[in-house]
Amino acid sequence: MAKSYGWAGKVLHIDLTNEIVNKVPTADYRPEELIGGVGLNAKIFWELGCPKVDAFDPGNPLIISVGPLTGTYGPFGRGEVCAISPQCYPDELFTYSGFGGMFPAEMKYAGYDSIVILGKAEKPVYLSIHDEDVEIKDANDLWGVETFEAQKALMTNEPEASILVIGPAGENLSRIAVILNETKFAAGQGGFGGVMGSKNLKAIAVRGTGVVAVAKPDKVLELTRTIIEEHKKILWLRSMFRTPYTAPQETKDIFAARYFKKHYGCYGCPLQCHSIHYIPGIGLSGVSCANWLWAPIFSIDPKEVWEANVLSQRLGINTFEGIVGLPLLLALSLEAGILTRKEIEEDIGLPTPKWLGGTATNHKFLTVLLHKIADGESPYTEGAARFTEYFGKKLVSGEKLVDLYKEFYTARGYAFHHVDNLGSALHWATDTRDPVDSCHEYKNSAPKAMEHFGLPPYDDYQILDLSKTVYQGAERVTAWVQDNQCLKNSLPVCEFWSQVTSFYNPPELDLRIFESRLLSAVTGLDVNVDKIAKAGERIWNLRRAIMVKRENRTRENDTLNEPYFKKAIKCLAGSATGLVNGPIDKAKFEALKDRYYELRGWDVKTGWPTRAKLEELGLKDVADELASIGKLP
Amino acid sequence: MLKAPRSGVLVHDPNLCAGCGVCEVMCSLYHEGVIGPALARAHIVRHPFTAKHDHNICRQCLSPSCYFACPLKDRAICIDQASGTTYIDEDECTGCGMCVDACPFEPPRIKINAEKNVAFKCDLCKEREGGPICVEYCPFQALKFVSKDER
Repeated sequence: MAKSYGWAGKVLHIDLTNEIVNKVPTADYRPEELIGGVGLNAKIFWELGCPKVDAFDPGNPLIISVGPLTGTYGPFGRGEVCAISPQCYPDELFTYSGFGGMFPAEMKYAGYDSIVILGKAEKPVYLSIHDEDVEIKDANDLWGVETFEAQKALMTNEPEASILVIGPAGENLSRIAVILNETKFAAGQGGFGGVMGSKNLKAIAVRGTGVVAVAKPDKVLELTRTIIEEHKKILWLRSMFRTPYTAPQETKDIFAARYFKKHYGCYGCPLQCHSIHYIPGIGLSGVSCANWLWAPIFSIDPKEVWEANVLSQRLGINTFEGIVGLPLLLALSLEAGILTRKEIEEDIGLPTPKWLGGTATNHKFLTVLLHKIADGESPYTEGAARFTEYFGKKLVSGEKLVDLYKEFYTARGYAFHHVDNLGSALHWATDTRDPVDSCHEYKNSAPKAMEHFGLPPYDDYQILDLSKTVYQGAERVTAWVQDNQCLKNSLPVCEFWSQVTSFYNPPELDLRIFESRLLSAVTGLDVNVDKIAKAGERIWNLRRAIMVKRENRTRENDTLNEPYFKKAIKCLAGSATGLVNGPIDKAKFEALKDRYYELRGWDVKTGWPTRAKLEELGLKDVADELASIGKLP
Repeated sequence: MLKAPRSGVLVHDPNLCAGCGVCEVMCSLYHEGVIGPALARAHIVRHPFTAKHDHNICRQCLSPSCYFACPLKDRAICIDQASGTTYIDEDECTGCGMCVDACPFEPPRIKINAEKNVAFKCDLCKEREGGPICVEYCPFQALKFVSKDER
């Protein structure tokens, strides 16, 4: 195999049903054009024919990719998981979830850009990857074991391995189960823990003793100076998550002083933005942003919130759902009089905690809730979308509960997250999940982008004050952020880091300048800003083609839950928490979509990518395939 | 030489170390032109469930067993007379591994580069202006260079 710079060079295919291990060159998937991460994942999924199977079907490929920058110095130690997602609602869509930690770099050092897992093992197994040696091993003893303990047990057999693992939630096919590395690093959204569980795959242990070859080491070394300088500007991010960040200062200080142990983060990154705490009697674990989300809302003792986080990590549950989404939904239903305490206790089967006017301790409430999610039998295990659907039919006030859900969960089964401006709303409408996890730009750097495009000021796009809202031009911002998002999730570049630094430093507005320089030095390819921008657009188009081919996506599906067009909605998370938002003008939003499709070079009537656009992006094969199934406009 | 001169030494503070691996990344990039812990002179062993990480690196022994074990002493393993730093000259090393066996630490702080068939270990970045690169890049100041006089 030719020497590969930047990329590790191999894609590992595992067929668990037939116990076949196969390695193919990454070059087969055109990595120069699709880079890595979500780009490579989309390409692999496309080559597999975009299978129209259910999320828990053995034919659902679980694809994990890193990128050419993974394993080098800086905010690049991430990977991306893609598969047909059990969390997406009502239809299970092919979607993505990023994760950091130690696993991505270790996987790269072991020699793999991607791991593709198909089939279903007969009995519980784990994958043991030690450089070239790949084995499917028995994991019977680990089934049912919580994530931390399972990793500890595996580490005795696999010293120094980095491990991706699922907990009881994933084993029991919860739709909001995560894939976890160490204590805190998780591919959270999408419910991919359940996909691993459906394959009887408890864990992937990887140990790599290889290296990432870089084309121009001196140049890479020189560019690390820029990373150091950027890093100094964002050190405040590091201290942000030591405590519940919106709690009163005194609470924060006490918590940090008593329990904060140290920072940690992804391999090779100087920021180390997560915090590790140790609380006697509970243990040691890590937290970051979303873990603290609801603590300030209900003014609960941060210690209790932290404990609930640890329990959800141990059980392998998405905290954004188990700790934020579901409890908030219940709280809101009580507050709005949709559910009564009696219904919550008797029909829904949860002890009402004190902050909801009941008598149970918070600890009791959360423990029962999280165990119900992990058990695989109660409606909770299906996530908020299917939970409300279930009780929507069962309860007297069920219809109202569903309506409330639709306000709080913006689209496709994902909870509200920065839907406070038109750019973000259009992005939500055209993606397959909550997109904002990997593009906080709308809040942080979009204002600069708007200036760059000669558009009205950012505030004019807010849907908080309808008297001011401007629709014209929002499509430019959305398309720009989407291309960036694809790039970031492919190189990969950490969203948390880049939300602050990208576009943040005039006069050169374009974040792609630094990334293209670094990518060139690492891979030896001549990548300029235009090429890297094109790659972002190419990946977005390929993802759209997957939606069109597999999921019959058309412009009718590019929407949000209907309450967003009908009424004012109170923001419950994100930058506009507590403010009232919308409604979005439906007719103007449809006109915005027209302009968006035009800008994208897609067909306005169907929202499908055109041959001209796909060929311009070097995706002729994709155009041919869409034509052959009658889905090319 | 019967008695080695004193050398400076790298000191690791496990209380500050996040186990991020920046030292390994920068070490391998600077010394080998590739990136990966396997070719780094520092070796971090992470313990994610206690957050107490080990940092294994040459201790620049005052009486370096590796040096005395080397069949090509003063050619393959040398001691810089001015700084006291024990280092390996890759051009001379035959990769026999005697130094690895002689190292008093477990795991040994000298490793073999299988591709080049030479031993390698920390030389405190003796050629580098500004001292050891890991000390400069450590995001938590968990690594310190202690001079031979302060040692």
